[in-house]
Amino acid sequence: MNESIKHSSRFIAVLLIQGLILNQIEIGFGIQLMIYPLFIILLPVNINIISLLFISFSLGILVDAFSNTYGLHASSALLFAFLRPSIFKLFDNRDGYDALVETNVFNMGLIWFAKSFGVLLFIHHLWFFFLEMFKFNDFGFILQKTMLSAPISFAICILLQYLFVKKQISK
Amino acid sequence: MRNFIAFIKHFQVVLIFVLLQGIALSLYVSFVQFPRSQYLTTASFIQGNIFSARNSLTKHFALSENNVQLQKKNIELMNKQPFSFIPQENGLVKINDTLHREQYEYIPAVVINSTHDKRDNYFTINAGTSQGIKRGMGVFSNNGIVGIIHNTSTNFSVIKSCLTKKLNIAIMLKESNEFGFLEWDGRDARRGSMTGVSNDFDLKIWSRIVTKGGGGIFPRGIPVGKIEKFEVIEGEPLWDITFLFSEDFRSLQNVYVIKNLLEKEQLDLENQANENQK
Repeated sequence: MNESIKHSSRFIAVLLIQGLILNQIEIGFGIQLMIYPLFIILLPVNINIISLLFISFSLGILVDAFSNTYGLHASSALLFAFLRPSIFKLFDNRDGYDALVETNVFNMGLIWFAKSFGVLLFIHHLWFFFLEMFKFNDFGFILQKTMLSAPISFAICILLQYLFVKKQISK
Repeated sequence: MRNFIAFIKHFQVVLIFVLLQGIALSLYVSFVQFPRSQYLTTASFIQGNIFSARNSLTKHFALSENNVQLQKKNIELMNKQPFSFIPQENGLVKINDTLHREQYEYIPAVVINSTHDKRDNYFTINAGTSQGIKRGMGVFSNNGIVGIIHNTSTNFSVIKSCLTKKLNIAIMLKESNEFGFLEWDGRDARRGSMTGVSNDFDLKIWSRIVTKGGGGIFPRGIPVGKIEKFEVIEGEPLWDITFLFSEDFRSLQNVYVIKNLLEKEQLDLENQANENQK
């Protein structure tokens, strides 16, 4: 019960931060900041993948409603959620995941988080910018947008965790 | 049958992924062309109200700049008032000119949400169908053209701005009346490009570009921008013109929506002509 309240309030917080603040920040060079993937990666490890897909889809479509992108964020969030289990398997520690431990940067360590979240975020951004431009001629520009936006989004996600996610005392 | 169910169970994750992905992409493709509902856009009730609440906080940031612009416009109008003129000859009789009939009406609105560095940028304004705004109307500001109404709800509308793919507004060079189309490549919110101008015309840097009019959306002569540079497209007899928008969309607040009073008459006549051809 406690868990579901925590995740629902995060859902709303991420949606409002993305829709009202980050969509307005315009640095130039095509940089676009997206932090809602953070919500998806912090969902419990043992969550049913089908509900994971539906939750991510609804988060994406609501972000779309705030930014007039009509389904681009939904598509990217869905891809992120779809790839999450495979990436988790790929960067598995030897002893597997504890279902009760949240996959945040404190519990899993910065290296694990940088590897798995970094890869997922990069794919997410690349997919988003590719759909947005939808032109192979502009592939350089798509790459530029991805390479500049993804690291900044990643840094903001780490910062948000340091500010708002409670550190669990290690057993 | 059993095999089929087993197959579905085995691949259900992939199937649901593909299904939802299909929904998302078809929404994107259909909405960009023709939005059927306003629920997934910033024109909807909840998002519209959230954005207007935020705008009531942030609108003061650009207040001084906007005041200067309004003052300029005021001075321009004041200069046209009768009291600014000295009568040259007292013997003339003043005749009310009835040859002109009003064709365009303007609905004022405030931009409450906008983006500028996405590939397609939409602006949300605080006026909707209850103010008489309809899809397809033109929008401009004190400095120049802004875009076309894309989607409306009762109290809010979304503008497809000049900063989008495929807007296709007809524009022309002010001096030579040579016309072309407005395009934007998605890189710089200050610069757009004009296509379709034949390169046997001589161009000058900083010559003005205005709307062509005639489509019933914009009147003729609303400023669009000034030519910054032009090059020949290789292999084609056309200029590649880059121009500086006369409006800085990043600090845009007050806009006017154009209501064409004679639109129905024009469309009816044009449809009649099309039917006669058949």
